[in-house]
Parts: sequence; C-alpha cells; structure tokens
Amino acid sequence: METTMKAYAFLGLIVLATFAVDVSALSVTVNDVECVYEYVLYEGDTVSGNFVVVDHDIFWSSDHPGIDFIVSSPGGNVVQTMKGTSGEKFEFKAPRSGMYQFCFHNPYSTPETVSFYIHVGHIPNEHDLAKDEHLDPVNVKIAELREALESVTAEQKYLKARDARHRHTNESTHKRVIFYTIAEYILLAVASGLQVVYIRRLFSKSVAYNRV
Amino acid sequence: MANKLRALLQVIILMLILVQHVDCIWLNLPKSGRKCVTEEIHNNVVVLADYVVISDVHIHPTPSITTKVTSPYGNILHHKENATHGQFAFTTNEAGQYLVCFWADDPNQGGALSVNIDWRTGIAAKDWESVARKEKIEGVELELRKLEAAVEAIHDNLLYLKSREAEIRQVSETTNSRVAWYSILSLGICIAASVAQLWYLTRFFQKKKLI
Repeated sequence: METTMKAYAFLGLIVLATFAVDVSALSVTVNDVECVYEYVLYEGDTVSGNFVVVDHDIFWSSDHPGIDFIVSSPGGNVVQTMKGTSGEKFEFKAPRSGMYQFCFHNPYSTPETVSFYIHVGHIPNEHDLAKDEHLDPVNVKIAELREALESVTAEQKYLKARDARHRHTNESTHKRVIFYTIAEYILLAVASGLQVVYIRRLFSKSVAYNRV
Repeated sequence: MANKLRALLQVIILMLILVQHVDCIWLNLPKSGRKCVTEEIHNNVVVLADYVVISDVHIHPTPSITTKVTSPYGNILHHKENATHGQFAFTTNEAGQYLVCFWADDPNQGGALSVNIDWRTGIAAKDWESVARKEKIEGVELELRKLEAAVEAIHDNLLYLKSREAEIRQVSETTNSRVAWYSILSLGICIAASVAQLWYLTRFFQKKKLI
C-alpha cells in the first residue's frame, strides 16, 4: 500500500512535470511541402502556436504572396487552414489525442524559411483530480498560471520572429539605398561623359566634311 | 503483489517515455537527402537536445542516421553517424543561426523515417531535478520556483526584444537621413554634370570657331 501511494505521488509529480516542458522556435526551409508532427497526449488539450515566414527576398513587389498552413488531426481531418499568409498565430482545442500534422505549403518555386512554434498545453480538470488523489486544486491553478505564462512566451517568440524579418527588410533597404545611389551617380557621370563625346564626334572634322 | 508492482513499473516507464517525448516535434526524413532545422540563438544560452529515429514501416533493425550540428561560424558542435538515438548539449558562444541536419545513412532502405527531436534552449533546458535535490524543495514549491524562473525568462526576453528594436530603429533612422542627403547630392551632381557639359561644349565650339 505504501509503495503504491509513493508510486502514485511520483507519477503525479511526473505528470505535473510534463506540463512544464517547452520547445523552442525552430525554423525550417520550405521548398514545396514541409510537415512537422506533434503528439497530443490528452483529448481537449489546447494546441497553440505561431509561425512567421522569415527569409524572403522579394525584389519588386512589397507584398509576399505567402504560404499555406494546414493542420490535420490524427484521423486525417483538417483542423485549421490558413492560406496565403506570411505569419499567423493559431490556437485550437484538440478533438482527440494522437499525432497531429502541421504542414506548410509553398506554392512558389523560391524556397522560404518559416520559423514556427507549437505548444501543447494541458490543464488538469476534475476528471484528472478525481483519478489522482495527490493532485490538489492548487495544481490546477498552477497549471493555469503556467499556461498563461506560456502564452506570453509564445507571443514573445512570435514578436522575435517578426522582429527578425523586419530587421532583414531594414538591412536590405539600407544596403539598397547606398548601392543604388552610388550606382546612380556613376551612371550619371558616365552618361554625361558619353553625351559630350558624342557631340564632339558629331562636330569632328572627318564627319563634318562628309555631312555638311 | 509482485504482479501489481510490475504493472506499476510498466506504467511508470511508459509515463517516463511519454515525458521524454512530450512537446517535441517529429520530422519525416526523406529517403535520400537531408532534413535541416535552424534556430537563431543568442550568446550564452544552454541548448539541450535529444533525438530518436523511428521507422514508419517497422523495419528491424531501425535504420541509422547521421546528425550534424553546426554553429553560425561553421564550427561543428556535434557529429554522430550510424545512430538511432542520441543527445547533445552545448552552451552557445556565438549569436546566430544554429543548424541541425539529419541524413539517412542508407538510402536504399525502404520506408520513411521519422525523427523525434526534443530541442530545448535556455530556461527549458534547466535541470530541475538537481535544483530540487540541492535545495530540498518539492511539489508545489518546486512548481512555483519553475514559474518564477519562467517569469524571469519572459523579462529577459522583453529586454532583448527592446535592445533589438533599438538597433533596428538606429538603422532605420540612418537610412532615413541618408535617403535625404543622397537625393539632394544626386540633384547637386545632376546640376554639376549639366554645368560641366555646357562649359566644356561652349569652349569646344568657341575653339572650333562655330560660336
């Protein structure tokens, strides 16, 4: 009896510990389709996350056409779809436990780098409380607090990814200003020089005698 | 009694396995070619990762993979071949993109491979068991301690975001002032070029006695 109680206490601690783990925001390069899978342990868990298209060098247009994001449940049903976006947050309640599939589709030929973050959060409810006698209501409150802090961290990761993209655009603008302006000066000087050379040639003796 | 204990042990082991693999992502490895994930990490951050290979069609023995972790300056931090599972840990010395790549060792083996990677940086990589043992805290107090660490991490992240925003603002403002200066300079160069042209051509025509 003693050992079973100790084992349950250990189990309770481990179950609590599982709610605290977190994965960092990874980036993956999407050529055509890239899928990431994540296992959801309990039905009813909230799966939240975000993704941002980070690295794209669009030359002319300022608006990227975006990538498509599709989430599929283990049964094959599509849980969420987002089309033509360059960065979004998502959140849904998992209808069942199992391996969920998060896919990025790139409809264009240029490869894109997508930074994503997925978090599966579980808050013990009354059913879990009834099953495990070592889980007090305070653990429920702690789990809710933890999920709230997780959402703040997720938001920060989203901001960080968008900041990285902004920085990329900013540095590209900076380089373009310098490079294109200096190229413009040189071209202007060369064009004026060529104009003068041409006019000189028009009035040079060899041409003038034949023409006028 | 022994049966009950054995059943319990099995459940605990299952939970432990689940604990290891909860909140980690799975990637599917193409038969040939490689799969890479990157992350931008700043300086002085602890990175802990665990990876396991599973064959989708249950081939025995499980096909092995090669793993390589590269730092932003090209140093190889971890390189392991012919493994079905492994782990690596390091503290970052450089800020930038860290690259983790997986290759299937034998492309002729049929079936898709799935790699499970449990990648943690910073606060998530902290070893709470040793902290609990050292300070002799457990249960609710340990959970609250974890929450406190999470709040500190949030605060540090905010400060980091603030400093990045300051850098971006700096670059934006330099670009802004440069655009103004370079446009005025461009106008000046245009006027100077036309004045130089006119002066040169006047002199040229005067020499040619056309004016």
